[in-house]
Amino acid sequence: MKALHVATKDLAIRFRDRNALIVALLLPLVLIGIIGFAFSSDSGISAVRLAVVEREDGDLLAAMAAGMLSRIDVFEAAALPEEEARDAVSRGDISAAVLLPDGLLDAMMEGEPAEIRVLKDPASTVKAGIAEALVQRTATYASAGSVRSRSVIESIDTEQPLTDAEQFELAAYMFRHMAESWDQQLIAIEDVDQETRGIDAHSYFAPSFAVVFLLFTLLGSAKTIHEEREAGTYSRLLTTPLSRVSLIGGKLVGSFVLAALQLGILVIMTRVLFGVNWGSDPLAVLVMVLVTALGATSVAIVIAAVSRTARQTDQIGTTFILVMSLVGGSMWPVEQAPGVVQRLARFTFNYWAHSGFKDLIFRDAGLSGIWPEVAIILGLSTVLFALSVGLLSRR
Amino acid sequence: MENRPIIEVDGLVKDYGRVRAVDHVTFAVGTGEVFGLLGPNGAGKTTIISTLSCLVPPSAGSVRVCGLDVVSDSMEVRSRIGVVPQEIALYQSLSARENLMFWGRMYGLSGTALTRRVDELVEVVGLSERAEHRIDTYSGGMKRRINIAVGLLHNPQVLFLDEPTVGIDPQTRRSLLELALELNARGLTILYTTHYLEEAEFLCDRIGIVDGGKLIAIGTQSELVAQIGATDTIAVEVEGLEERSLPSLDDLPDVLETVVDGGDIRINAKSGSSLLPSVVGRLTDAGVTIRSIDVSAPNLESVFLHLTGRSLRSEPEAAEQDGEL
Repeated sequence: MKALHVATKDLAIRFRDRNALIVALLLPLVLIGIIGFAFSSDSGISAVRLAVVEREDGDLLAAMAAGMLSRIDVFEAAALPEEEARDAVSRGDISAAVLLPDGLLDAMMEGEPAEIRVLKDPASTVKAGIAEALVQRTATYASAGSVRSRSVIESIDTEQPLTDAEQFELAAYMFRHMAESWDQQLIAIEDVDQETRGIDAHSYFAPSFAVVFLLFTLLGSAKTIHEEREAGTYSRLLTTPLSRVSLIGGKLVGSFVLAALQLGILVIMTRVLFGVNWGSDPLAVLVMVLVTALGATSVAIVIAAVSRTARQTDQIGTTFILVMSLVGGSMWPVEQAPGVVQRLARFTFNYWAHSGFKDLIFRDAGLSGIWPEVAIILGLSTVLFALSVGLLSRR
Repeated sequence: MENRPIIEVDGLVKDYGRVRAVDHVTFAVGTGEVFGLLGPNGAGKTTIISTLSCLVPPSAGSVRVCGLDVVSDSMEVRSRIGVVPQEIALYQSLSARENLMFWGRMYGLSGTALTRRVDELVEVVGLSERAEHRIDTYSGGMKRRINIAVGLLHNPQVLFLDEPTVGIDPQTRRSLLELALELNARGLTILYTTHYLEEAEFLCDRIGIVDGGKLIAIGTQSELVAQIGATDTIAVEVEGLEERSLPSLDDLPDVLETVVDGGDIRINAKSGSSLLPSVVGRLTDAGVTIRSIDVSAPNLESVFLHLTGRSLRSEPEAAEQDGEL
């Protein structure tokens, strides 16, 4: 019971700190708004424009590829000469240009590797990334198509060389197969739609910035342990019939409630202000909010526990949160990072929190879809809480 | 004052690593007594109070408060003591009432009993009209009064006041000391630490003098003075000692001891006033210029000086206290 009184007192103090409220609620909303609008022209809401480079005038393969890409709603593809395509990428008129190598068809027929190059507009990372991912997927379907084509070739009389007409017919067959694959791979196409149409910048940055600011708010909350030590109230509390565990427990409960409120308000406000769709399962959103609040509380409290003063908590905490946010993908799409960074990201709280919210926002995952993230954050929180209580109880 | 000890400290030792903060301290405080721990900053007074209030465990020795061991019966001891720390240990953005309500809950009070007690205490400390205001809008003296009120919320049997008058104006100091006396008159036992001689003289029934972690003397003021012999002190401030040598004063009749510290001369004698003309004559004959001269009856300063060879008044803050009480 006394722990709850400590928590209530902490919350009352926090709610009276106007600056803390601004940092906790107003600042993230403003930043999500600004960055969301800034990126909205380059986030996949508008069509991804790209070119397939013609190796020669009237390159049939390039025209077919461009035509196939344009069948997908979010792409506007055209076959262009290489120089024109490069200029368009440089100017930012298109996000990427796809260069098909000579002998691609032959290589595919023979099942040999072929290099498809993608020229990307560096200023259009998201769209260019989508184009690159699409080319990789196309190559996969093409490989599948070539295997099927080869089996067809093998089934006819291989003693007889194929005529040009037969080769063309086989190529057409292969492309038809690829096109059918697009249609048949409903889930894959749906994925592409989700990753493009669904990725409006507000939806992407709302959970990531919410998590970053949540960590900063909780850092401020956790460092009150040191502020109370420095002000003498911590010692005074320990001269009352209040156990050390109740005191630390009260601090944790206060921080957790603060975190859950902040995150909950940000979820509602981003929905109202920016139309972020957090998913159709309110229970799943609530669970993710509470689990994320718990995880952030444990991260902040462990930072306070390893620090000696409020100032040190600020210094260590700020650095740690910024690094964790960068590596964990709270400030940029970690999917586009090198493999080593993507592997490192999995060791951060931000990654799992963001991943859970992304599952809700972009995949409408529901409770069953977020359980891995929930389990990992709960596990992390348990370890960090145990560590914090151990460290703080000894002081 | 009853004789049954409410505080019993026996051979208390407290080490912080290799530093011995408290060194075999033994004393007892009777119920209803105001007991003072007097000593310079860093003498170990706060460490003794911290041990008595269950904040730090003793390294050796035994400490009992209200008949309970501070280590094994820590929670019970804490519910019977009130602690007023040196710093303003309050939540600045909460009002006085909110602070008192919170601290009252920490002592296990609730409901109307708590509300009534808070009302009563803001009245006692004279802040009922400002009770709804935030602490950070209060003056230093007002904060001090609420700081004390927190320690009284649960009607403790013993109140520990750890240098509660540091950094406040003389008027507020006076009112706080009078408040302490009033609380004591209602039967509250008080353990009071200070490095201000005047406060100890004004407030305390008995005084323990602490220096370097050791309790070097204990008793009533008159007992302490008697311990060093009932002597007056002649304090002389002179100038020009660089050019002239100080004439011998020890051979004057009734002089017991002479201590010279720069331009300050302290002479302990059986009767200061009768010796005064001889001292003045000896100094002026030697060409020494006297800037000031004062005769004082034996007091705690004399005791401290006698026991440690140093003056408590060398503390800068203590110097400001002259004549303030």
